Amino acid sequence: MTDEGLQSDDALQPDEPSTAPAEEQGTGALDFPVDVERPDETAEDYSLTELLAVTAAKEIADGELAFIGVGMSLISGVLAKHTHAPDCQLVTESGYIGACPPGVVQSISDTVLGVDALVATNQLQIFTDNQRGLFDVGIIGAGQIDRHGNTNSTVVTGDDASYEHPKVRLPGAGGSTDIMTSCGRSIVMMRQQRRAFTTDLDYRTAPGHLDGNEDREDAGFRGGGPAAVITDMAVFRFDDEGEMVLSATHPGVDVDEVRETVQWDLQVAKEVTTTPEPTRGELAVLRTIDPTDTVLRGSDYIYEVEFDEWSERVMEHWKTLQDQ
Amino acid sequence: MSRVDADERAAPSTPTGTATGERSRRDKTTDLETAISEYVTDGSSVAFGGMGGRDPEAAAREIVRQDVTGLTVLDDARTTLFDIMVGAGCVEKYVGSWVGTSLISQGFNVRRAVEESIPHHLQMRDVSNFGASLMFLAGAMDVPFVPTHSMVETDIPAHNPAIEVVEDPLGSGDELALIPAAQPDVAVIHVQRADAMGNAQIWGNVVNDHLKARAADTVVLTCEEVVPTDTIRAHPEVTRIPGYAVDAVVEVPFGSHPWHCYGYYYADLPFYREYGQRSRERDEFLDWADEWIRPHDEYLEGIGADRLATLEEMEAQINEIPPVLGRDGTSPRTANADREGGR
Repeated sequence: MTDEGLQSDDALQPDEPSTAPAEEQGTGALDFPVDVERPDETAEDYSLTELLAVTAAKEIADGELAFIGVGMSLISGVLAKHTHAPDCQLVTESGYIGACPPGVVQSISDTVLGVDALVATNQLQIFTDNQRGLFDVGIIGAGQIDRHGNTNSTVVTGDDASYEHPKVRLPGAGGSTDIMTSCGRSIVMMRQQRRAFTTDLDYRTAPGHLDGNEDREDAGFRGGGPAAVITDMAVFRFDDEGEMVLSATHPGVDVDEVRETVQWDLQVAKEVTTTPEPTRGELAVLRTIDPTDTVLRGSDYIYEVEFDEWSERVMEHWKTLQDQ
Repeated sequence: MSRVDADERAAPSTPTGTATGERSRRDKTTDLETAISEYVTDGSSVAFGGMGGRDPEAAAREIVRQDVTGLTVLDDARTTLFDIMVGAGCVEKYVGSWVGTSLISQGFNVRRAVEESIPHHLQMRDVSNFGASLMFLAGAMDVPFVPTHSMVETDIPAHNPAIEVVEDPLGSGDELALIPAAQPDVAVIHVQRADAMGNAQIWGNVVNDHLKARAADTVVLTCEEVVPTDTIRAHPEVTRIPGYAVDAVVEVPFGSHPWHCYGYYYADLPFYREYGQRSRERDEFLDWADEWIRPHDEYLEGIGADRLATLEEMEAQINEIPPVLGRDGTSPRTANADREGGR
């Protein structure tokens, strides 16, 4: 592992010895909220999405304030809360803080975020606290990224389209701009594609390390900017110059394969590790959180299930986590 | 001049009060069709409440049903209601932070409008989510702008010329983005409860609704239940929107369906999944709109009472509005009579 990588990992370790990161705690010691045999053994079968959810969850250390959005980011946060980081507090931009949702979150104001929440407030307050530097880690998504971790989630224009008439209109900034500006550190989750890992961002929606690390300080940003990028192939960290470094590849993925999906000459850590596979316990929790495959999408179930079956299944699984 | 004389002289003007006072005290209850036709007209600028939860979906469908056109939507993140209005041709311009429909589909109508000008071009002016909050804060404060670190060193100000980036005039050396005030013609907001004067109580998260109500020139409030003012008085701490900001109050049960309403019902995922699938192609969206854009009571009949009851049951399993505020409309003062004896 490179110095850069170690540095990033250090950031995950709070001072208190009782809140060591999950890998060092040993998952066997965890009290899983669902019945599962041999919870700390590697899972026999898991989907790529499940691997990503587990990998992102591990970026949240126990006791941290984690600013999360909809989808993968939220399921990772909920997983962390139900596994290695029971004392992390989830923060969502719609106004909930400290919830313990018993299931997958469909939207940013999903009422499961009200379950056991510490605070139900408004969006202005959440982002004011974020700008003040009160949140430790944020997880965002993006459509494009450059070597310094600047991201685009607004428009795809290529060379011959424009902001007004783009090729693809993406959803927009959401909270990503604000998280990348002010949150302690940011984790970016996205697809690994050559057109997405670009030397020429179509639109800068959220500030990464700009053109190099010191630029953020000059700009007066309180947050540390992107600390990791998690894709369907690999995990990247950032060096002292604020440039992306390949840190780990997922099981079965070669470094060269990753290189081919990046438009610039990719920096690679001296020792590239392999992303740890999910354990049986982590997987059991994930599938309890998302019984209808709304986020995990190992199947087309969510597109086919009828209303009655959907509602029964969701309530039954909520109960499992509510009763723990 | 004696004190008594002064009081007597002041007396005649007291009963009429100020214009805002009048706005505060009036009974504003009306029906949805009347409220929308009076306050949301062609060319209006509008903000909507909620955000993927407690959205004023029924009110937005009524806007579509009345064929309102040329709207500017000044907003934060918007889901199905915005996509439906865009597909129906109601919207010219959006100033806001995020558009989509849900976790399991995209905002196909928004994409068609921006990328292909179908049914006509939709002009987008981006801000971040914090920027959306701040534009309503500035509007609510009635100041021209509010500064932030967010959006500095991004392309947002370049494509949204209303945002200025300046060096801190007080000398910190920081660059700051100045977010201009949004004061929409009307804010359309759905809440759990309000009294006839529009004192509105919100349980769960508030998003930007308290600011939108104050920033807007007029407010149409839809609610699950209109309750007696005494019910509001029992828990003033959850009154997020004061009656003096509100112009119309409409009782619209299940007014946020297919989204959640905290303490009342959970989101109907299979319903908005179907919207996602049927809005993928233009023709199918028009069929969907034919089927579902209709008066709210007919819409609810189409959903079915059993299904609505299940959504209520789901929400009851996870969240409950404190029983002292009883959903039967009884005055909590009576319930608290022993403890609050002297009142």
